[in-house]
Amino acid sequence: DGGEALPAPQNLSVHSANMKHLLMWSPVVLPRETVYYSVEYQGEYESLYTSHIWIPSKWCSPIEDAECDVSDDITATVPYNLRVRAILGSQTSAWSILEQPFNRNSTILTPPGMEVSRNGFHLVIELEDLGPQFEFLVVYWRRELDTKEHAKVLRRGGIPVHLETMEPGAPYCVKAQAQVKAIGRNSAFSQAECVEVQGEALPL
Amino acid sequence: MKNVLHWNPPENLQGVEVTYTVQYFIYGQKRWLNKPECKNISRTYCDLSDETSDYEHQYYAKVKAIWETNCSKWTETGRFYPFLETQIGPPEIALTTDEKSISIVLTAPDKWKSNPEDCTISMRQIYSNLKYNVSIYNIKSKRMWSQCVTNHTLVLSWLEPKTLYCVQVESFVPGPLRPAQPSQKQCISTLEDPTSALK
Amino acid sequence: EFRFGPCRVEGVALPGLWEAFRTVKDAVQVQDNNTSIRLLRCEVLQNVSDSESCHLVHDLLKFYLNTVFKHYYPKIAESNTQPSFSTLANNFVFIVSKLQSSQAGEMPPDKDRARRRFLLFKRAFKQLEIQAALTKAFGEVDILLTWMGKFYQL
Repeated sequence: DGGEALPAPQNLSVHSANMKHLLMWSPVVLPRETVYYSVEYQGEYESLYTSHIWIPSKWCSPIEDAECDVSDDITATVPYNLRVRAILGSQTSAWSILEQPFNRNSTILTPPGMEVSRNGFHLVIELEDLGPQFEFLVVYWRRELDTKEHAKVLRRGGIPVHLETMEPGAPYCVKAQAQVKAIGRNSAFSQAECVEVQGEALPL
Repeated sequence: MKNVLHWNPPENLQGVEVTYTVQYFIYGQKRWLNKPECKNISRTYCDLSDETSDYEHQYYAKVKAIWETNCSKWTETGRFYPFLETQIGPPEIALTTDEKSISIVLTAPDKWKSNPEDCTISMRQIYSNLKYNVSIYNIKSKRMWSQCVTNHTLVLSWLEPKTLYCVQVESFVPGPLRPAQPSQKQCISTLEDPTSALK
Repeated sequence: EFRFGPCRVEGVALPGLWEAFRTVKDAVQVQDNNTSIRLLRCEVLQNVSDSESCHLVHDLLKFYLNTVFKHYYPKIAESNTQPSFSTLANNFVFIVSKLQSSQAGEMPPDKDRARRRFLLFKRAFKQLEIQAALTKAFGEVDILLTWMGKFYQL
C-alpha cells in the first residue's frame, strides 16, 4: 500500500474548538521536495459495518499543509478514525492512524463574542457567528432593582437581535453562552456587558 | 402547495403546431392517471395542485408531445414530495401603532386551493412548527433588529414617536432547506407624542 | 432533540440529515422501477402513538443499518456520494445507541403494535428482489426522515 521509502507522517493529533476540528501531524521534510498529504476518515458505521472502507476528507485529498480541517467530515456525534499519509510524486507512504478515535463531543466550547448596544430604548445584542450548529442562551437583567434574570435562546449569531425594551435610569446587563445541540453541551458564560438609557431624555 | 408542472417545447419543432398531454402517478399506487384539463393542450404548463393535494404522498408526472401524426416518448419527473419541497409563502402582516409601540399581527399563508369554494386550510395546520423571522427597520436611525417568533402576535414597545418603522417577515419550517420568500416590507409611522407637542 | 415518547435523543442535527439525503435522492430514486410499491406506507407510519414510536424507530433504523445501508453500500461507493451516505449512517448509529439506552419501561402492548407495523414494512421489503428492495428502501429515507421529524423539537 505505498512505497516504504517515503516516511509516514507522525504525531497525529486533533485540536478541536467550537466545533472546528483540526487534524495535525509532524510534516515529512525532504530537502528540495514538496510533500503532499492525503487524509481519510471512517465513522463508527464504517468501522462497524464496512471496516475496509475509508472516505477521502472533503478538503485534504490532497493537501500541502501539515494540518487538515476535518469539520465537514465529522458529521455525527460518534467516534471517528482518521488517517493520513504522505505523497511525493507517485510515491506514497504508509498510513498513520490517529491513536484514539475522535468524537466531536470533546470539542472545547468558548464563551461567544458579543456586542451589546441600544437602539433608542431597545437593548440589542449581536453575537459572534459561530456557524449553523450554534445557538445561544442570552441572560439579561436590570442591575438596580431585583436581580431577576431573563433569558432568551437565539438561534444564530451574526445579526442584531432585540432583547428588551429598557426603562430609563438603570443599567441593563447581558451575558451569553454558546449551546451546541448536536453534542448536547454548552460553553461557559461570557463576561457581562451593561448599557444604560439616560434619565427622562427623549429617545434618540 | 400550488404545484405546477412546467416543461420546455421540443427543440426541433419550431413553427410546427404541437400539443401536449400530461399524466400523473401517486407513488405506491398502481396506475398513471389522466388530467383531463391537460390533454391535447398547447401551453407548456399544467396545474396539478388538486391532484397532488395530499401532501403526505409522493408523486410523479409525465408529459408527451403530439404533432401531425406523431407523438414523442413520455418525459417523466423525479419523485416529487410536496410536504418537503413546497415553498412556504410569507404571512400576512397587519400593523397598528400608537406613539411608542407597534403591534404586529401575523396570519399564516393558506394552502393553495384552485376552487374558492373549497374550505381554507392554513399552512400552520400542515406545519405545526411553523415559525416567523421578523425583521424591524428603524428608518431614521437606519438600524435593524430581528426576532424569531412562534405565535402570531408581537408588540414592539417604547419606540420613538413620529418615526417610520418598516417590518419584513419570512415564514420558515425547521427541516430541509427551502428557498426563503420574505414578505414585502410594510412601513408605519409611530404617532406624535402629545406631551412633547405641549412643551 | 428527538422525543420518541419516553425515549429522548439529543445530539442529532436533523437539517444535516436532510441535506445529506438531498444530495443522493435523485440518483437513488431514479433507479427505483417499482413505483407502484411503497414500503413505508401509511399503515406503517400513520397515527403512531408516542409510546409506540420509540420501538418502531428503533426497529426501522436497525434494519436500515444492518440490511439496507450495509448491502446498498457498493452502489454508493460507485457514485462517490460516500460522505452523504456516511453522514446518514453514522447519525443512525448514534440514534440507535441512544434509543437502546433509554428504552425504559417497555410497555408490551405498544411494543407489539410497533412490531406489527415494522413487520408490514419488512414483509413488503422481502417480497421484492433484493437489489430492488435495497434501492427502494434507500430511496424512501425522505419518508422516514419526515416521519422522524414529527418527533423532533427545536
